[in-house]
Amino acid sequence: MNKSDIKWAVLRIEGTNSEDESAQVMREIGVQSEIVHLKQFTGHDVADHERRNLADYDGLWIAGGFSAGDYIRAGAILAARVKSRLGNDLSEFVEAGKPVLGICNGFQILVETGLLPNLEPGQAYTQAPTAALHLNDCGHYECRPSLLRHVNRGNCKFTTGIPHDEVRTVISSHAEGKFILADDRDYERLVDQDQVVFTYTDPDGSDDPAYPWSPNGAAHAIAGVCNPEGTVFGMMPHPERVFYRRNHPDWTRTGLDAGLGFDVGDGRAVFESIVDYQVKRL
Amino acid sequence: MTDATAASAAAASWESKVEKLGVGFPLRRFRLRDMSDDELLACSQAMSIGLSLEEMQAARDHFLGRDGEDDPTDVELEALGQAWSEHCCYKSSKPVLKANVYGIAEDKIAAREDAGIVEFDDEHYYAVGLESHNHPSAIEPYGGAATGVGGILRDVVCMGAQPVALVDPLFFGPLDMKNADLPPGVKHPRFLLDGVISGIRDYGNRVGIPTVAGGITFHEGYTGNCLVNVGCIGVVRKDELVHSKAGGVGDVFVYLGNPTGRDGIHGVAFASEELSEESEDASRSAVQVGDAILKEPLMHVTLEVIREGLTTGCKDFGGGGLSCVAGELAYDAGYGCHIELEKIPTKVPGMAPWEIWVSESQERMMVTAKAENVERILQIAAKWDVPAVVCGTVIEEKVNHVTFHDETVLRLDLEFSTGGPVYDRPCAVRTVEPEPTPELPVPEDMEEVLRWMLRHSSVMSKEWVVRQYDHEVRANTVLKPFQGALGSEGPGDAAVLKPLDASDRGLALCSDVNPYLTERDPYWGSASAVDETVRNLAAVGARLSSLCDNLNFGNPQKPERMWELYEATRGLGDVARALDVPFSSGNVSLYNETPTRPIPPTPTVMGVGILSHYKHATTLDLKAAGNRLYLLGETGDEFGGSLYLRYHDAEGGSVPRTDAKVLADSAEAVVSAIEAGTVRAAHDLSEGGLAVALAEMCFASGGLGAHVHADALHEDPVVALFSESNTRWLLEVPEDRAADFEAAMAPVADRLRHVGSVTDDGRVRIRTGETYAVDADAASLREEWANALPRLMGVEA
Repeated sequence: MNKSDIKWAVLRIEGTNSEDESAQVMREIGVQSEIVHLKQFTGHDVADHERRNLADYDGLWIAGGFSAGDYIRAGAILAARVKSRLGNDLSEFVEAGKPVLGICNGFQILVETGLLPNLEPGQAYTQAPTAALHLNDCGHYECRPSLLRHVNRGNCKFTTGIPHDEVRTVISSHAEGKFILADDRDYERLVDQDQVVFTYTDPDGSDDPAYPWSPNGAAHAIAGVCNPEGTVFGMMPHPERVFYRRNHPDWTRTGLDAGLGFDVGDGRAVFESIVDYQVKRL
Repeated sequence: MTDATAASAAAASWESKVEKLGVGFPLRRFRLRDMSDDELLACSQAMSIGLSLEEMQAARDHFLGRDGEDDPTDVELEALGQAWSEHCCYKSSKPVLKANVYGIAEDKIAAREDAGIVEFDDEHYYAVGLESHNHPSAIEPYGGAATGVGGILRDVVCMGAQPVALVDPLFFGPLDMKNADLPPGVKHPRFLLDGVISGIRDYGNRVGIPTVAGGITFHEGYTGNCLVNVGCIGVVRKDELVHSKAGGVGDVFVYLGNPTGRDGIHGVAFASEELSEESEDASRSAVQVGDAILKEPLMHVTLEVIREGLTTGCKDFGGGGLSCVAGELAYDAGYGCHIELEKIPTKVPGMAPWEIWVSESQERMMVTAKAENVERILQIAAKWDVPAVVCGTVIEEKVNHVTFHDETVLRLDLEFSTGGPVYDRPCAVRTVEPEPTPELPVPEDMEEVLRWMLRHSSVMSKEWVVRQYDHEVRANTVLKPFQGALGSEGPGDAAVLKPLDASDRGLALCSDVNPYLTERDPYWGSASAVDETVRNLAAVGARLSSLCDNLNFGNPQKPERMWELYEATRGLGDVARALDVPFSSGNVSLYNETPTRPIPPTPTVMGVGILSHYKHATTLDLKAAGNRLYLLGETGDEFGGSLYLRYHDAEGGSVPRTDAKVLADSAEAVVSAIEAGTVRAAHDLSEGGLAVALAEMCFASGGLGAHVHADALHEDPVVALFSESNTRWLLEVPEDRAADFEAAMAPVADRLRHVGSVTDDGRVRIRTGETYAVDADAASLREEWANALPRLMGVEA
């Protein structure tokens, strides 16, 4: 597929608040991206020219924020709306091998819908969630840089451009980010199926970092996971907030070129990887 | 009868001069012409509309003289109370503002409406506002602070601008105060702090606008009356700027947002009186209830309808509610309005017309539009599930005409109601003479003084608070509130954003005021606030573009308070005028006073700076061993209001002065040297002087140290280490760039000293004479600084 023909949709409703920068980084990679309100997919309360069909897109990004306020469990309301209004379209989308990305609130929503972690290859999602993103151990929202180790062995289509075991700086910004499996015995299978993508670490490279390097107390220090096919991916920290080096918290120490290119940040590889996959495979 | 008995008789008898009109809904007519003076006053007080006797008399005379009914309805009287409140019409502050801060560099202001509009680049303006939400936050900190954020966002959005950052200067009493020392009815500062930051966190984070700067200041004077100031900045394409006025006769009013409720009734009157023991019960209903998840889509709806070119004007509902919004949109365009009040959606059934008219419920916006565009506006609102109704029209005659189910409930001449009273209130002049610093024992252990300062609430890290705010959303933040090596950051001088994809320009923000200086000397204390703003911005590589002032003061009817307001604004204005920099936005909050005491004079200054390129953004953390350290600026024996005197629990000394010419030249030299790429780190010197600034630069580096000779600054080691003289920076310069650096600094060469170098041993060393006054491990200093606030809040890790 030609890069410039690839179209991404960035989904939003009230309270989604990272959609502008999300759509922008995809454009920066060289693909088309459009911010689409859920109602544009369902056709309610919108003009004809605003209606959209999910099948017309090649990638779906559920952006960060506090969808519908997150006044109950984070992501629960949007997940319920997506499942009831867009369920079949989304199954077909995933089954067609089209990538779905969830960052922060988007990850919470993918877990709520059962799209992640989803241990069964070949099915779009599980009927009930099999994991949760629980309240941070510190008890409240925090915004701070995290160090993420890329532990995926090649399955995740969003991180093929990041060497295995490399540590990258990405911004955490959430109140509910503590990843827990409903049944921790699933962890082994998650690893076997190469579905763990990023784990939190600290400056000493620990596998079990303490607060604040683990910003939330996640089980097995998990920061991001993908589905068995590696095409649905969710993570709590925000790679789009370190797309450029200038947004790194310590760029004035490293300079704007820290080895990846001028003003290239640690998060950019996530978006380059998936678009690369789309160009080659779709 | 004595005065007291007359007043108590009036308290009962005024009600007999109010008649209920049989119109099928609650509506009363007030026969003001039959009321005695005592009754007029009793009526104003009982209705909580805050009008003085003279104002009630002026109202009475106006209604007697108008065409139509000789007496006002409750809707009319309530509307006047609101329009003539201190909060809405600046009746005490206007003459002072006119004399001191209006008219400075006015050519740099593109517009001044709900927000100030200033050029950002050739194609864009920035829209900026700074407001207080003090009294509501003292009563209900969570809701008060949240709605403060909401209000300032609307001010920026209604100009058509996309908000890009929030700034929160906060002021509280001491966190370690004993419960027994709290005045009656006053909430503990820890409770207030926790509530305020939770309110800002839960609201600001949800609406998706980063909180990038601000500050938390502690002083006993804020114990009974905490201050919550909130600033917001947005950007707008020049051709998409919307004005806060209607387009023409026949335009319709479209009400967008939250239904109107009984929350926030008499909010402006509440903001225009002193707080008392009874405020909690008496004024709870004056605090509005915020809803971030209505605000977030309301911002989208507003910006979408503006970008599609569907509106002629836009204004947010702030203090004063519908009463102010409808009238001002029409009146500022030279017209009047007819509002059909029954069309306004309400939160509860049975609200009286006056309640709907004056309610200050949150999350509401009013636009005016040509009739043919209304359908599309309603459709966009429906997409976002935001309530929207057509509720009136713009009319030729300059009146507010309000009907409720076809019954006229208010007909007010707009010239009369918007032309509120103005008072030239008397000042009690207090002479502030320069005083010598008191004779104090020289501390044996200077390092212990430094450690005490780093732990002190004025200097200690506010990271525990700041990390609860999302300062990264929108992915524009180039310099964060905390800067330096990962895990050992120090306090940044200002935040820097890159707000536009298509432009490399940076936008820098900071806020400053030191109440320990302003209480001692309002003039030089306020001048110092501007000085600190300029040096904070220059330290990150930004040139000051405009200032915002939020004037928080006590009761203006007390001449001592009025003098403080006068002197403070004179100090702000004199420096700004000399710098030729305008005040783009401002707000006055008076009556910040309890029966125990007033707040210290608090003219919060917010600075907006511009960087020619974001790549010049510079942080405070030292970068490499072997680099030179320079100090720019003169260090004098100026200890009035200083942290050092507080260490000794002593009073006296002179508040630092500033020379605007020197300030302008120095800041320009610093920015030029930064743009020339010769400066690796920069930090301004403020509370705690050289010692604190140097410690912060070292520990933020995560392992580097510094060796500085202080003798060149002043012969007295105490002055060299701890003086808080203005207009000073510490600058780190690579050895091989020193010549270029000094060339860039040539205009201020006489004030520049090479004082030392960066070391690789992680120690902060300051040499005075033959000995080291300070020789400390930077990491251990950081511990003192970082752990102080968690310890005070009882949340130590």
